[in-house]
Amino acid sequence: MTTVPLETAAAATTKLPSPSPRRRRRRSGDRPLILLLLGPSALLITAFIVAPAVYSVYLSFTNTQLTGFAARDPKFVGVDNYVYLLTNSDFLGSLGQTGVFVFFSAIVGQTVLGMVAAVLLSRPWLRGKGLFGAAVLMPMVVPEVVASLTWASVLTSGPEGTLNRLTGVFGAAPADWLQVVPLASIIVINIWRGVAFAMIMFQAALEDVPAELIEAARMDGARAWQVFRHVTLPLIRGPVFLYLLLTTISTVGVFGLVYFLTQGGPGGQTRLAAIYIYERALQFSQIGIGSAASIILLIIVLVLGVVYVRLAKVEV
Amino acid sequence: MTAVVTRPPVGVDPERGPSARPAKIRHRPLSTLDKVQRGLGYTLIALLALFCIVPFAWVVLSSLDAAAGPNVQVPTFSLENFVTFATNSGTPRLLLNSLVIGVAATGVNLALGFAGGYALARFRFRGRRVFMFGILLIRVIPAPATIVALYLIMVKIQLSDTLIGLIIVEAVLQLPVTLWLLAGTISAVPLDLEEAAWMDGNTRLQAIRRIVLPLVGPGLGAAAMLTFTNVWGDFLTPLVLLQSQELYPLSIGLFRAFSEHNQVDWGLLAASAVVYVAPPAVLYVLVRKNLLRSSLGGAVKG
Amino acid sequence: MKRSRATAAVVATLVAAGGLTACSSDGGGSGDDGPVTISVVQYQQTRIDALQAEIPGFEAAMKAQGRDIKVDLVADVLTDEQFKTKITQQLIAGEAPDLIDIGENLVPGFAGAGYLAPLEDDLEAWDGWDHYRPQFKDAMVRQDGSIYSLTHDTGVYNLFYRKDVLTQLGIDTSQPETWDDLITRLEAVKEATGEAPIVVPAGAAWGGGTWAEGFQPILGGTDQDFYDADSGTWDLDSGGFEAVFDLYAELQSKGLLPTQDLQNPNPWEPTKYDAFPAGTLPVAAQGSWGWKFDWGPEGQAPIPQLEDKVDTWQYPALRDGDQPFGWSPPGFGYAVPESSDHKDEALLLAEYLSTGEPLARQLVASGAASPRDDLADVEPLASEPKLLQAGDDLADSVFVPTGDGADQVSQAVATATELILNGDADGEEAYDAFKKDATDLLGPALVKQ
Repeated sequence: MTTVPLETAAAATTKLPSPSPRRRRRRSGDRPLILLLLGPSALLITAFIVAPAVYSVYLSFTNTQLTGFAARDPKFVGVDNYVYLLTNSDFLGSLGQTGVFVFFSAIVGQTVLGMVAAVLLSRPWLRGKGLFGAAVLMPMVVPEVVASLTWASVLTSGPEGTLNRLTGVFGAAPADWLQVVPLASIIVINIWRGVAFAMIMFQAALEDVPAELIEAARMDGARAWQVFRHVTLPLIRGPVFLYLLLTTISTVGVFGLVYFLTQGGPGGQTRLAAIYIYERALQFSQIGIGSAASIILLIIVLVLGVVYVRLAKVEV
Repeated sequence: MTAVVTRPPVGVDPERGPSARPAKIRHRPLSTLDKVQRGLGYTLIALLALFCIVPFAWVVLSSLDAAAGPNVQVPTFSLENFVTFATNSGTPRLLLNSLVIGVAATGVNLALGFAGGYALARFRFRGRRVFMFGILLIRVIPAPATIVALYLIMVKIQLSDTLIGLIIVEAVLQLPVTLWLLAGTISAVPLDLEEAAWMDGNTRLQAIRRIVLPLVGPGLGAAAMLTFTNVWGDFLTPLVLLQSQELYPLSIGLFRAFSEHNQVDWGLLAASAVVYVAPPAVLYVLVRKNLLRSSLGGAVKG
Repeated sequence: MKRSRATAAVVATLVAAGGLTACSSDGGGSGDDGPVTISVVQYQQTRIDALQAEIPGFEAAMKAQGRDIKVDLVADVLTDEQFKTKITQQLIAGEAPDLIDIGENLVPGFAGAGYLAPLEDDLEAWDGWDHYRPQFKDAMVRQDGSIYSLTHDTGVYNLFYRKDVLTQLGIDTSQPETWDDLITRLEAVKEATGEAPIVVPAGAAWGGGTWAEGFQPILGGTDQDFYDADSGTWDLDSGGFEAVFDLYAELQSKGLLPTQDLQNPNPWEPTKYDAFPAGTLPVAAQGSWGWKFDWGPEGQAPIPQLEDKVDTWQYPALRDGDQPFGWSPPGFGYAVPESSDHKDEALLLAEYLSTGEPLARQLVASGAASPRDDLADVEPLASEPKLLQAGDDLADSVFVPTGDGADQVSQAVATATELILNGDADGEEAYDAFKKDATDLLGPALVKQ
């Protein structure tokens, strides 16, 4: 599931009204129709989304593999897989890298740049909004693989590479970016990819800030920056936290963007949790361990979700 | 949806509403500080826009370059990369696969989503709230967390490495969002209209087809666009579920071509990327044209 | 989109997709008597071409025996890892072709999982079986006493070196007796060229090759006891492991390995396919298929005047009391999936391809030595001195058969050597990490206590 953030924004901001109260009476004849209309969807979602999640939990407690004698006869091993993972430096390292990746690209990079873009694009004096907006939007709307490809070219080593030409202007020697600073490189790429989503969400939030308050603050002599910090920011806290939640979830699930370029290398320095799971389960055929890693990842995401919701409620 | 509620701050006139902006009429010339701020603002947004656009330069230029390399260079203009794409043995197949998967998955997704959305919008039944909430919860799950188990399930039911299996999975993965979207859109269609149709002698299904369907055009368009774009760009699911070269969609094909290392045809790769970007863009334009048509105007009186 | 049109569109695309699905599934045979079609898969271009050339001969030979068998060759060019993933999946789903040609390191895992059909009864009834060298007959017998694959090629793993480059640099090109000797020479090369002079598979990016083509050969030459066949367990305390990790660490710390290339995807490409032919990396740990598959005229990275420029050393001795040696595991072998409906016909094809001229032609195409002793005079093998030499070397080369758990050990070795490449561990630390990892992955049943 590649998450185009637009749809999560849509889902987030659409509040579903209840069916018309006038028709609240339940006609018994409705039942078969409901089953017919919703049944297939419910069934398929259960089979292809819910069942894998449950099956994952089950598999994580077994030593299932696809090759070797264990494949014939998978056994229940309790929490052995979890113990293995939580004491395995590879896995812990990959969790750490994922944490760094999410923090710097989503929580810091995308949020800051998205906010800057949203604020600037809401200034009435700014001309060319359409053009600037479209430019910022482009990285988000192209497929993941194309995004990676564009950056493959930007980051090529050798003096002809785009980034090297840029740093060359400042006198730096050409560098092989994906080798020398791999994690930083993919962080920048992910920031590039996600700024538009942040911008869209924050633009919507900024529009809800009453103009009167801004005016009042300015007339009290506040500078633009102070207005932003003391008036605007507190008011958009809710949407900001919602955004942080959504982008954390989707960033934890990033796979193709990174795998295309580095396949987890060099030397495992960009082996995010998603890539670790893919390698373990599908290249080494260790289904039990791969599933346990998946569940650990899922738990982390859920915990983060709870944290965000808590924080959002407390602030408002 | 857990709507995060913000209490309006003290002092806001609730009648006037928060979005009413007074018309900005400049009564005094710009101060220096203002000028500096504006200059800074323009610089920032321009830098950001450049940052976002520049990486695409290589793709566009190289696709038109007969002697393309991995770096940006002045192209030897030619369309031969696109010709190679169309006549190469493997590449048109990639495009075809992507199209088949995208269109079929979107079709299945819309059909199921419309039916399910209607049920969710029009009927209150036990478990409805749980279902809606559950759908939302599902979106929290990152794809890599369940892909392994899904892969095993697909192998067991013999649908792995088949286009049909991938199509079904892609359609279902996008179903929660489509259901949510269409349920919302359908709720916005007043039941009065359907009831009027019933009184005119239509069956329920006829009423749905004649009244509801045309009116949710924009919603269907949006759902189609979202679904198609997501399925079109999906990399992980086909990577895991497909093993046969002749079934690969463009996303996997580009990956394999790129990781050839020694034998990358950069021009062809760039042209393939351009081809890859095109269909969702085309769809977007098409849907936008339809979205602009007003949906409910004139249908309901009073 | 009107509903009816939508429905029609959905149905149409489902039908189309169904049609495409039908095209994509591998052909199986149909009918019990009458024509039988068997499918066979190859994933390397040289093998694809070689096998393709043999099919008409096979079909004709079968016709002469009154059998109507057609062969459908599934050609899909993949790397070893990609093929492993694909064939594993096909075997689980019961959709694998009737005959598969797989590397030796894949067999224990698949056999253990029950995906392959036992062949020993049929092989013993086959007249060609008597010509197989005893060491390979033994090696083909798995843990449970059955034979699951018919080895049809083998080679000797050695150190290939650029005779011309080393001579030009004034480096001694005689057989290095010990690794210390070799390291001294390699340091001299590095001094002169500034580049890493040797590539030995290492790290996670090389996948299964790190164990199969890098670590295990060196280990087997110094320690034959790392796997206990009687108990079916791995002796992780066996001294050879630490010795080899120390060797890797020494090569790494002296800057003799192309570390950056080893850390990146497809590490064999910049090293064996770019740097070795270019002469900047003059020593490579390699199997005899290198004569054809890697650097032969039709290979991945041809080197002109190959036989003048390239020669081989045996692996030097690592610890006191060792001797230089070549490592010769069984190479590729034909196996028949348990799920196949045409096991007999598939085995007939395997036997045909493993006899006389068909075998000789394939060996020459992929650069392998023969596991049979009756091919020295058969053309075109008879005209390949290097391959014949490899065949002779088989007589005193080394192989240690292993069993269940090889995949896990392979993985643990890859991870541990990666630590060395990243500079995160020295030899001893890597060995400790390996021991812990392998113990966890193998489980107590497979580790010698």
